[in-house]
Amino acid sequence: MHVAITGAELLTCHGGTDTTFAALAKGVDGSQGLRFYDTDRINVTRGYHVDDSDDPEPELPLRAGRWLARCVLGAVRQAGVDPAVERVSVIVGTGLRELRAMERWAVDGVPVRRRDLHFTTAVREVLPEVTEVITVSNACSASGHALALAQDLLAAGEADAVVAAGCDAMSESMLTMIGRVADAPTPALRPFQEGRAGVLLGEGAVAVVLRRAADAGPGALATVLATGLSCDAHHETAPDVGGIVAAMRDAHRRAGVSPHDIGLVLAHGTGTALNDPTEAAALDTVFAGVAPGPLVTGIKGAIGHTSGSAALMSLLVAAEAMRSGSVPATVGLAEPIEAAAGLRLVVGEPAPCDARLAQVNAFGFGGVNAVSVIGVDR
Amino acid sequence: MNPDRVTVTAHALHVPDPIGGFAATAAGDLFSSVAPEPACGPDQAHTVLGRKGLLFKEDATRLALCAVHRAFALPPGKLTEPLPGAEHTAVVVSSNVGNARTVRDIVAEMRAGSAHDVSPLNGPSASSNVIASTLAIRYGFTGPNLMVCSGATSGLDAVRLGALLLRGERARRVVVVGVEPDDEVARGLAALRPAAPGTTLPVPLRAAAACVVLELGGSGPLLGDVRRHTRPDDIAEALEPPALRLTAPGAPGAGGGIDLTAHLGEVYGALGVVQLAVAAAWLGSGQPSGPGGALITCGDGEDGYASVRLDPAVVPALAGGG
Repeated sequence: MHVAITGAELLTCHGGTDTTFAALAKGVDGSQGLRFYDTDRINVTRGYHVDDSDDPEPELPLRAGRWLARCVLGAVRQAGVDPAVERVSVIVGTGLRELRAMERWAVDGVPVRRRDLHFTTAVREVLPEVTEVITVSNACSASGHALALAQDLLAAGEADAVVAAGCDAMSESMLTMIGRVADAPTPALRPFQEGRAGVLLGEGAVAVVLRRAADAGPGALATVLATGLSCDAHHETAPDVGGIVAAMRDAHRRAGVSPHDIGLVLAHGTGTALNDPTEAAALDTVFAGVAPGPLVTGIKGAIGHTSGSAALMSLLVAAEAMRSGSVPATVGLAEPIEAAAGLRLVVGEPAPCDARLAQVNAFGFGGVNAVSVIGVDR
Repeated sequence: MNPDRVTVTAHALHVPDPIGGFAATAAGDLFSSVAPEPACGPDQAHTVLGRKGLLFKEDATRLALCAVHRAFALPPGKLTEPLPGAEHTAVVVSSNVGNARTVRDIVAEMRAGSAHDVSPLNGPSASSNVIASTLAIRYGFTGPNLMVCSGATSGLDAVRLGALLLRGERARRVVVVGVEPDDEVARGLAALRPAAPGTTLPVPLRAAAACVVLELGGSGPLLGDVRRHTRPDDIAEALEPPALRLTAPGAPGAGGGIDLTAHLGEVYGALGVVQLAVAAAWLGSGQPSGPGGALITCGDGEDGYASVRLDPAVVPALAGGG
């Protein structure tokens, strides 16, 4: 059963939905010097912060939840959904929850409430009448998993509308583990680039409102055909071609499409040594024999790795690219790695695109993979 | 047997150190009747799991592994190949503070020196889904893998999503685990919450793990639909009264319900799964007389409440497991 996206909002280092799309079209790298942390000790110097520097406090508490609330409310208003008269579930995908607040409590003595680690309170403050808020902490594919569960809830008739969302601020512990495995601080996030140095974290939130396609009426932003899920069961942090291929094929099977039908792929594209060749190999496998194959682009060079938000942010960019007929170039990419030679990567300038179906990849720590197939009417 | 009904086909409890000890209470009597054997703490997990593969594994991960190991009645030691059916098995874990101590330690060690002073083996635990992915790796479960961190309703949220994965044909079997540790960071966070009405101190946090295995149309107790509600007892179920009522913490209600946390201590995100495993064991133990299954509720005044029924198996002689 297809579901329609009837409202959406995102927030990145570039700002809201429209300014983010505009920055992507221009190919703007939104990274900046890292705020809040001792960059010498942590061995990370850059990131893609949401700009809340006008706020009175240097680091507001519970930033991820604030951004989430703003996006959920915006998406629900755009969709015209009223939780007082319909059953509305909210599924929040996050990599790092509000662990930043826990760190500041444990190490700096900044007060926190235990319930603020998950997002029930943040969502209920703006939408008190929603049926439920479920926080799914599924690493860097969390909002892809939230989307899959949202579609399943609608298919099972357990909700009238579902908000699938993602949010993450940086955590000091995750930055530390990124700095731990780097010889020198990563200067830029460059997906699929020869000699790339690694990943940089982004921040932000995203929310989409979903309804059964038959209930949605005209004017939907996009249709979600299906999301495929898999777990590598292979390694705690390294990706695995077999698990990723399984998620892609699960997505196509559930969507009832073949690889020939897909005109655009939004890659996970983290710019790490392991992800990019592994993802390229998986795409080569799944799209083998498809000529010329889909256009492939990635957005993390522009907005950073937004962790739990990444899947749905890529999804909204894919929908906008199909609607506008223009696919943003992969920011940070000039000379693709040899492993990606078989991919039609969008390099340098936006590429014209008449695709009506797109695939969105998201893979997370622990080998948790979510791959979505979406379509737009043009 | 209705092939569309979700059934609990195996279950296990692994609760090392209940606050109630051996004191005679309704909660204590019930719990010790379904879990008479003591459970080891995380530092003794090798007695259940074997020694290999536990280095740098957090307490919550160790306890979760113990619960799954016991649910599948496995001998100590690592499997040499995935469990039968592992490729169609999903994992859903509920835990709120499983990686809190490691996250604190990573930051403290970095600030005392630099990122290079932190062991890279701590890396996986910076991501909260480490428990769920570790279970998948250990047993070869390649189905969908979910980590639910939803606060006080998290345990039944995990059960609910597990049933959804079955109905959505994403898995043929779902291993649902609820687990919390009781290290100093977890206890510190627990101490921040308000005490229940009429009490001065919150019930102390205790480590706990439980596992229930869900399958469609299996031989075991029948799982109802998980329902959310805003007060502990306003459950929109007009069905026959349950033979066993497991209530939300601090909310025993009028009908003689049992608050397991009076015996176990607070087990937070583990509770819904612990309650379901207790109910499944109770239904499979031959104790129930007459009709009516169990009705369980977890949650609190901040996160709201979730409830689910568990009804006797159609063929009781085949019920149980773990």
